[in-house]
Amino acid sequence: MNDPMNSLNEAVQSAKEEDNLYLTVKVGDQPFGIPVQCVHDVSKAQKITKVPLAPPEVAGALNLRGRIVTVINVGKKLGLRNSGSDADQIYMYVVIEHEGELYSLMVDSVGDVMSPSPQSFEQNPSNMEPGWRDVSAGVYRLDGELLVLLDIQRFFGGISKVMAA
Amino acid sequence: MDDMLSEFLTETNESIDEVDVELVQLEQDPNNPELLANIFRLVHTIKGTCGFLGLPRLEKVAHSGENILGKIRDGVLEVSPEIVTLILEALDQIKVLLAELEANQVEPEGNDQELIIRLDAAADGALPGAAASEPEPEPEPEVAAEPERELKSGEVSLDELERIFNETAGPLDSGEPAEETASEPEPEPEPEPEPAPVVAEQPKAAPPAPKAAASDEGKQKTPESSVANSTIRVNVELLENLMTTVSELVLTRNQLMQLLRVQGNQDSDFAVPLQRLSHVTTDLQEAVMKTRMQPIGNAWAKLPRIIRDLAKDMGKKINLEMIGAETELDRQVLELIKDPLTHMIRNSADHGLEDTPGRIAAGKSETGRVILEAFHEGGHIIVQIRDDGAGVNIERVKQKVLSNGLATEAELEAMTDQQIVRFIFKAGFSTAEKVTSVSGRGVGMDVVRTNIEKIGGTVDVSSVTGKGSIFTIKIPLTLAIVSALIVGCGGERFAMPQISVVELVRASGDSEHRIEKLNDTSVLRLRNRLLPLVNLREILELESVAANYEYGGEETSSGANIVTNGETAEGSTGPELATEDGVEVQAAVETRRDEESFIMVSQVGAYQFGIIVDRVFDTEEIVVKPVSPLLRDIAMFSGNTILGDGSVIMILDPNGIATKIGDTAMPDDDDDAEKVAAGSGRDDNTALLIFRAGNTEPKAVPLALVDRLEDFEVTTIEESNGQMVVQYRGRLMPLINVEGAVGIKEKGRQPVLVFTDQDRSMGLVVDEIVDIVESKLSLELESPDVGFIGSAIIDEQATGVLDVPHYLKKAYGDWFGRRGASKSLDTSKKPVSVLLLAENQFLRNLIGSYLNGIGFNTREASSLNEANELKEAGEKYDAVLVDISLDMSGTEVPHVLSEDGSWSDTVFIALTSDASVEEIDRAAVSGYSHCVEKGDRDALRDVLTDSLSEGSVAA
Repeated sequence: MNDPMNSLNEAVQSAKEEDNLYLTVKVGDQPFGIPVQCVHDVSKAQKITKVPLAPPEVAGALNLRGRIVTVINVGKKLGLRNSGSDADQIYMYVVIEHEGELYSLMVDSVGDVMSPSPQSFEQNPSNMEPGWRDVSAGVYRLDGELLVLLDIQRFFGGISKVMAA
Repeated sequence: MDDMLSEFLTETNESIDEVDVELVQLEQDPNNPELLANIFRLVHTIKGTCGFLGLPRLEKVAHSGENILGKIRDGVLEVSPEIVTLILEALDQIKVLLAELEANQVEPEGNDQELIIRLDAAADGALPGAAASEPEPEPEPEVAAEPERELKSGEVSLDELERIFNETAGPLDSGEPAEETASEPEPEPEPEPEPAPVVAEQPKAAPPAPKAAASDEGKQKTPESSVANSTIRVNVELLENLMTTVSELVLTRNQLMQLLRVQGNQDSDFAVPLQRLSHVTTDLQEAVMKTRMQPIGNAWAKLPRIIRDLAKDMGKKINLEMIGAETELDRQVLELIKDPLTHMIRNSADHGLEDTPGRIAAGKSETGRVILEAFHEGGHIIVQIRDDGAGVNIERVKQKVLSNGLATEAELEAMTDQQIVRFIFKAGFSTAEKVTSVSGRGVGMDVVRTNIEKIGGTVDVSSVTGKGSIFTIKIPLTLAIVSALIVGCGGERFAMPQISVVELVRASGDSEHRIEKLNDTSVLRLRNRLLPLVNLREILELESVAANYEYGGEETSSGANIVTNGETAEGSTGPELATEDGVEVQAAVETRRDEESFIMVSQVGAYQFGIIVDRVFDTEEIVVKPVSPLLRDIAMFSGNTILGDGSVIMILDPNGIATKIGDTAMPDDDDDAEKVAAGSGRDDNTALLIFRAGNTEPKAVPLALVDRLEDFEVTTIEESNGQMVVQYRGRLMPLINVEGAVGIKEKGRQPVLVFTDQDRSMGLVVDEIVDIVESKLSLELESPDVGFIGSAIIDEQATGVLDVPHYLKKAYGDWFGRRGASKSLDTSKKPVSVLLLAENQFLRNLIGSYLNGIGFNTREASSLNEANELKEAGEKYDAVLVDISLDMSGTEVPHVLSEDGSWSDTVFIALTSDASVEEIDRAAVSGYSHCVEKGDRDALRDVLTDSLSEGSVAA
């Protein structure tokens, strides 16, 4: 469809072979890193069907080449007020696979695939918000910003908990 | 599971099914050498493979069975019903062993010596009816067998098979035989470098290969599987994936076609190749659909055996004819119709056909006929079950209809016989005068109907008295694609399976149909009945949108988004669908919201209700996909799908919506009652704990109420605030004395009965726990003493029966109130009134005080007359609990009490002393929506709160 997209997807595909590679995405102003091994696909704005009665983090469902994918509003999930609530904003979708099902993470923008140096890794700061600590696997100190590593397992675990409540 | 083992299980199960069928054929046609040879071959194969896999128990049974077959084939024995029964028994045993093997992956312990001895005895001609002409002591008669016909290339002769099996003792040898079955699809086995220590890990391919050859050979004799040689086994999952991929292709094709149309340039260079692509896609889709198809005969395989056993049991002669076994349908549908079909066949054989004297008296041939026929008809499969029996007894149906209050005499008068016969599909209807082991439990035909309707099918019956009955089932070819109505509500589109929509009603302020309000609930007058309505927008918590809201479509107009069925189903270009939708949008602008809406009249079981939606678009064939695990808890949706325009849409679940409305009289609830009561098969007696406290008179408490028996060291009992307490499981538990008793012992251990509810416990101090007895609890005397309900004679001794609620309240004043609250029954809003109808004083006291305790407004009545008087006095109750062992027969109660309609909304709940299947059936037949065992207070509470709280909240 559009070249930048394809090249990004190619980069993701080729990078899958290696460890310690993260796709960076921005939610609000905060960069997050998603392990490339989890990433299935990156796609542009799509039409999302809202699912009534769904948990608040579930933005709806979309059609990814014939498969129905549940869309997770990452901003809502992380309690970021300046993301995920603007209807007119154009979002990006990072499709990941979790326990055999496809999910699409709705983020504000998608950046590069990067391999931050292990020396810059740090455990979650002790004063991190509990809501964030639940989904963060640690932080990379990058130039000028901090990259929060998303722990996909726990990210979905949290949503199921919300469901049960 | 080990690949080889699972392959073995699949193969062997198939072989056994085949043998089952053929043995029954053989019994009727004992001189058919081909049939016999095939049976022999199959059993022989089973035996050989078992030996190979190291399954000695299976092997022995199969071997003995094979011996008999060998002798029959050699003409030493003759086919007789006794012999066939015996071999079938051996097969059953093999099935049992296989099932265990499948579950545990190892052969079960034990042996089948008894069966084997009988089999061997029969092989030696020691069975009556077996023509024992010189029983040759031939241990392996099959070795000498000659192949029945020329072998085709790739097939293996019996001699070779025998040799193969003999050679398979050592794992290293096993490579050899497979090479001889060159045409087999299995890969050639690779000789294992080291001898496998475990038998099950021997080289692959060797065992299935000869076996497959043998069964192929066998199958060629049955006409419907003449293509068996050219088939391969494919994992179903692979087919499902293929199906998904093709659906995707179809959607893409549709999008392309739509693009072309939107451009309006039919002369485009793309038009022709697209047309071609379209056709290829359609062909591909059809081909893939076909791979999911299986002959309906697969669902019939067990029927001949069932009929044979049935005929034997009942002393009837029955001939089952099966026509059209090769008719194909989706494997998913096939699975779902197996049980209903089996039930109907049994029904025809059991009730439809007269017994032999009856047939002779009616001038018919002794042998009754049951004909099962399947054929295609316009996108559906028709399955007919015909019998030449007595037909449905119209008079008996009428009586039953009247006695069950399903219709009045006048209504029956106006009905044709055909209409009356259809009553047999109503819930809880059975005309069988006596319950047989086969059918007549009163839950038969309505369950059949429900199951068939679940898969979008219909079932009908026609019957001629004295001539027989015809049951006709119409089922869709596939479940993967269903026809759905696309509706719009609150800015979203939803799909509603068309099978659940009875009709569509357009309601507006000035038209004939107007939505009326009863307080906050909406109803619609529809043909002189009030139809309960539910607004989809409210139950889905959607925002309201303007009537001219444009649904769907991101780039194109909403009208163009709606794609006809034709496009997905037929794959043709389809006519350019007029922007019907768009037109409607224009029209709707002028009417205000709420003034015009559409009502989908839906039916779940026998319950009708209306769903209000904003708009109705079109029907579309949709491919149902399961929803993501994250959303699976939402009961309102049964799945989701992708429409022709590529957008995702949720599929509404009428069952979920009906539950939301809070219907309590749904026939499905019978299942719940069954579940509640299942698992206990106690008789009329109640288990009672006998103890002494205070004086020497024995005292009793129903064991079901007691959580544990404990004894505490007296020194551990403390006093706090004048209340005896003891530390129990990390908490303080209050100890209460039985009324009239003095207190705890001075030293030693103090027995205590512990009553627990959720996280709270209470201990009742007793002197001595005497016994646990099973006894009939009938209260002889009401007790003037506080703390006791009365006295009963238990074990020939006058025994005081404890009033448990009294003590619970003593320990925690709010014991029951708390419990009621925790169950979210909002009693403050609307006290639920319950009428308890029971002859037994004890029962009334026990249940009455319990129900009062948990916040129900309970009224008691000891007889139907008393209840009737209350009704005459204008009293209303949300529920009536009836002890159905009432002398006047509790089964009449719902009928009598709801007769005049004033108690028509009342839920009738049956209390039984044992929740056996018969009791539950009896209750269901009599019009009870639930059936609860008397002693099971939790079940009673749940049934009451579930059936009533939903009703009061949603109402």
